Amino acid sequence: MLLGVDVGGTFTDAVLAFGDRVVTAKAPSTPLDQSEGVIAAVHAALERAGRAAREVRAFALGMTVATNALLEGRGARTALIATEGFTDVVALGRQNRAHLYRLCAGRPAPLVPDELRYAAPERMTPDGPLRAPGEDELRALAARVAHADGGGIESIAVVLLHSYRHPEHERAIGDAVARALPDVHISLSHEVVGTFREYERAATTEVDAALSPLLAGYLRRLVDRAGSAGVPKPSIMQSNGGLIDLESAAGHAAWTVLSGPAAGAAGAAFVARAAGAPDALCFDMGGTSCDVCVVDDGSVQERSAGEIADRPLALPMLAVHTVGAGGGSIAWCDAGGALRVGPRSAGADPGPACYGRGGEEPTVTDANLLLGYLGTDAPLAGGVELDRLAAERAVHALAREVGLEPTACAEGIIRVANAEMIRALRVVTVERGIDPRRYALLAFGGAGPLHATAIAEELGIATIVCPRASGVLAALGLVVSPRRRDVQRSVLLSGGSLGAETIAAITAELGDRARQALGDGGAELSAVYELRYRGQAFELAVKAGLEPQPDALRAAFESLHEERYGYSDAEQTLELVTIRVSAITPGVEVSLAGSDEETEVSRSTRTAVIGGSETGVAVLRGSPGAGTEIEGPAIVELPESTLLVTPGWSGSVDATGTILLERVR
Amino acid sequence: VSIDPVELQVLTGALRAICEEMGAVLIRSAHSANIKERRDASTALFDPRGEMVMQAEHIPVHLGAMPAAVAAVLDEQHAPDRSWILNDPYRGGTHLPDITVITPVFAPRKPGWRSRLGANTARFADGELIAFAANRAHHADVGGPTPGSTPADSRTLADEGVVISPRVLDEEAIAELSSQMRQPDQRRADLRAQLAAGRVGVRRLVELHDRVGADTLEAAFAEVLDYAERRTRACLSELDDGVRRARDLLEAREGDLQIVLEATVTDDRLTLDFTGSAEQHDGNLNCPLAVTRSACYFAVRVLTDPEIPPSAGAYRPIEVIAPEGCLLNARSPAAVVGGNVETSSRIADVVLRAFGRAVGQGTMNNVVIGSEEVVYYETVGGGQGACPDADGPSGIHVAMSNTLNTPIEALELEFPLRMIEYSLRRGTGGGGAHRGGDGVVRELEALAPLRYSLLTERRRHAPPGADGGEPGAPGRNLLDGEELPPKVSGELAPGQRLRVETPGGGGFGTSRQRESPNRESPPGDSRQRIARQRDSPSSGR
Repeated sequence: MLLGVDVGGTFTDAVLAFGDRVVTAKAPSTPLDQSEGVIAAVHAALERAGRAAREVRAFALGMTVATNALLEGRGARTALIATEGFTDVVALGRQNRAHLYRLCAGRPAPLVPDELRYAAPERMTPDGPLRAPGEDELRALAARVAHADGGGIESIAVVLLHSYRHPEHERAIGDAVARALPDVHISLSHEVVGTFREYERAATTEVDAALSPLLAGYLRRLVDRAGSAGVPKPSIMQSNGGLIDLESAAGHAAWTVLSGPAAGAAGAAFVARAAGAPDALCFDMGGTSCDVCVVDDGSVQERSAGEIADRPLALPMLAVHTVGAGGGSIAWCDAGGALRVGPRSAGADPGPACYGRGGEEPTVTDANLLLGYLGTDAPLAGGVELDRLAAERAVHALAREVGLEPTACAEGIIRVANAEMIRALRVVTVERGIDPRRYALLAFGGAGPLHATAIAEELGIATIVCPRASGVLAALGLVVSPRRRDVQRSVLLSGGSLGAETIAAITAELGDRARQALGDGGAELSAVYELRYRGQAFELAVKAGLEPQPDALRAAFESLHEERYGYSDAEQTLELVTIRVSAITPGVEVSLAGSDEETEVSRSTRTAVIGGSETGVAVLRGSPGAGTEIEGPAIVELPESTLLVTPGWSGSVDATGTILLERVR
Repeated sequence: VSIDPVELQVLTGALRAICEEMGAVLIRSAHSANIKERRDASTALFDPRGEMVMQAEHIPVHLGAMPAAVAAVLDEQHAPDRSWILNDPYRGGTHLPDITVITPVFAPRKPGWRSRLGANTARFADGELIAFAANRAHHADVGGPTPGSTPADSRTLADEGVVISPRVLDEEAIAELSSQMRQPDQRRADLRAQLAAGRVGVRRLVELHDRVGADTLEAAFAEVLDYAERRTRACLSELDDGVRRARDLLEAREGDLQIVLEATVTDDRLTLDFTGSAEQHDGNLNCPLAVTRSACYFAVRVLTDPEIPPSAGAYRPIEVIAPEGCLLNARSPAAVVGGNVETSSRIADVVLRAFGRAVGQGTMNNVVIGSEEVVYYETVGGGQGACPDADGPSGIHVAMSNTLNTPIEALELEFPLRMIEYSLRRGTGGGGAHRGGDGVVRELEALAPLRYSLLTERRRHAPPGADGGEPGAPGRNLLDGEELPPKVSGELAPGQRLRVETPGGGGFGTSRQRESPNRESPPGDSRQRIARQRDSPSSGR
């Protein structure tokens, strides 16, 4: 029996998979100690399934502990040791300002304050050591760090220039400090990150150092609770969509910073595969924001680095792009007379006007209600009942301001919100050279399926996939995810030094390390090569075997360059910047056919505004069973989300409970 | 066709998305570090009459400076796939390294097609001109005697590189132009990237045209321009009417040059009159009027609402006056390279000061080091001026530039250079109720014989504060510890060290008014540091 638990902002979701059954359960999240909510959700799921805790064979967890700590600026008391002359590396960043015209807009504070930055007496060059640290110097440095802050240092980040290729000095300093401070966490930049460009590596290493002690404490509490409950220790979801063992996660918080979104994306990819739509744009719209990602051939697209809370994270991660457009986004009229939606959100409290909790400004959810897409008689997830009069008051006030009829104003709010989301989808598709028409649109989250047909039409997409288990997709993703360990190193090989044997020797070494770290000597290995034309500052990632010929890498790179940027240049020198090897133990596919979510479906009709005119629309409420036919215009009120099927779309429910719509005209 | 408030927002977003996509293609596919790492590029869409409908400016120095480029080719014979190139500062350009590529956008004729244009506009058998897609990128070198084409001591345009008058950009032109410049492979690649960006703009705009129709697109162009104008007017009408004055100095080799401004707000209009500023000079601090305008637009954007779409409409209520022949509206063939990178900052400073703001480092600290084989160009951040409600951030680009630094590890792999120090220059921000940001120290050692060129400002005159705030510390340039003038070039022998210390920003309000340390202030420059500086563990080693 497999167990997946995803900790969200409001709810903690659990999924149990056994035989061909899938059982889900929810418990309120417990922000003070997330482990409490985790165990409550596990108990709820076991109870629903009528099974015992000892039957759980594997337990996978997606969490937001590290993410939240970063967003709230909490972390361990951390010191930075950096090459002499460069201790401000994180404070200086890339010297660009946060906003072009808001001149005093700041960037987030470095996690290490000025007085805890220490100069390391050493210097590496690209070709090796220029100055090695002496034994006495190392001892003196370690003593100074040990006495810093009244001896209150909890964690240390070590970032030395050129350590991506010459890690000897980082190791020596790490050892010296560990001897002086045996109980303090130490993050070495070549271990945590391993790639070149010192600022991004340093900032990521600081994140790792500042969050790891915090995460370790949380995971210890969770292990205790899990032990008492009789379930095994969980594996942890990393930002890259693979699971790692708990001890590794506790030692390297930077690897799991985007654990939650990665679990959601992994779940979306799983549903896309199960629905027979392995190429899908996934679009998860909730109350305050919207996450989008691309699934190619059943796997979520990755990127080699990203950002969180305005801090760079130089580590591979699933490419999930977030925009601030959700059901709670507020519509308003700007000084030039344009109708705008967001970025301000009514959030969960007071929430949209129709929540009746004192919100007076019109939101996307209010517009959906006025147009008849949401019903006042169907409480939303979380038991919120909708107040139509409050929504009317809010939208009518805005309609007067922009000089539109109330209905046209409500439709306008939806159009503008859709345009925001389409822009987000374009960012992940067109700008990366992907043609969205080749993809299905997988819509989930409370509000996603309401907007699916309009967005699909705008992007020229002909297939929509709407999963039944919208709310527990992330927990489902955890159950089926592989275990994975990435090891990467910047090698910067070009010209004569870019040879097949050199590459093979490096991938073999990285592969051994990755398998060893994963604890699976027989794990599958795969390699990614980050390539560029010499002199370029961005790399393109090419997947290839472990012993690629340079010519094959060049061909793959050039075809990708051509696809992405419209040209390639045979005269340019190719440079292999970074090699990343992943060791992977595949996950198990579970069957959704035995899901217990099917319920009685009630049918009715309702008047909704579609294309400017009032139309009678069929309403299905519940989880429709396999084979149910749906033809637009129709509204399907699923337990956790609402699907709007506009005219021109029709489809049916597949064996797993997923609704598949096709564009018929 | 009328555009309602919903359509307006949707189409504004669509046009902006096209500009952003052009920018993404340009930045990611270019080879010059200037374009890729430093994002010294911008993209824009113009209507067939040459009005700039939308721009994605990645750095402000290009703000509103492209209309002159499109105007320079507007009356040419246009055809599908025939792009134009120029860099002549006196015919649509700014300074020579900024090369502009303009691609006309044609929509195919359809049944029922009728002309949207006046009788004077060109028509073609295979379609109709519906727009121009334009992009501008800063190339690492455009020839001339100095590697990097940013000489500290140029006196005419010819000293600064190859001057490209508007001409058709085809393979032949690419080959011919790149052969006159250093690193021709890179130039070729950058020009192709600019062409690719133009093609993406054409494709996306034609798609939008096909989706919404010619009438709607034409109406949308007009409405987006009017919309930006309305929003700018709404902001300007909130400013008190009246005349404000400010003056400041530029540090030319021959002595200081004065810039004088009289700014007049009348209802919802703003006039910026630079009459009385210094005459154009025999150095390179001269500006074509397009550069003066973009510096003014930058400052206005800071003072009004930065979210106003950057279209020509936003600038309709703003009049910029600079007499021909003065430093801010120079005549050909005056040298201009310093005008674009340095004078532009001072123009922005003067406008901000007229409106009571403290100013930042006021220079880009241009550093060029190279030989005939390699060219390393970069600009160095410094202190931002304090805002009326916040401390100025430290170690950033403050005005017309916002480019990324070159990572030390990338620099040491590519160039015969070693970085000795890269740190905050603590305590250099001006004191006040809100403090100016600190400058930066960047010190390099040559590992081979190299030429260097420094084009810097605010070495003699400190960045002023406002409302009782203290000035920031002026910057310094040092060669092996010996102080150098603000504008200088020379040789570096292996082992010699060039150290650039950039200015701090001015403070705002008196120090007495300062409350507890500003918690919003970006870290890395928290003010307590000044007291701590002496015993800071990371300094003095």
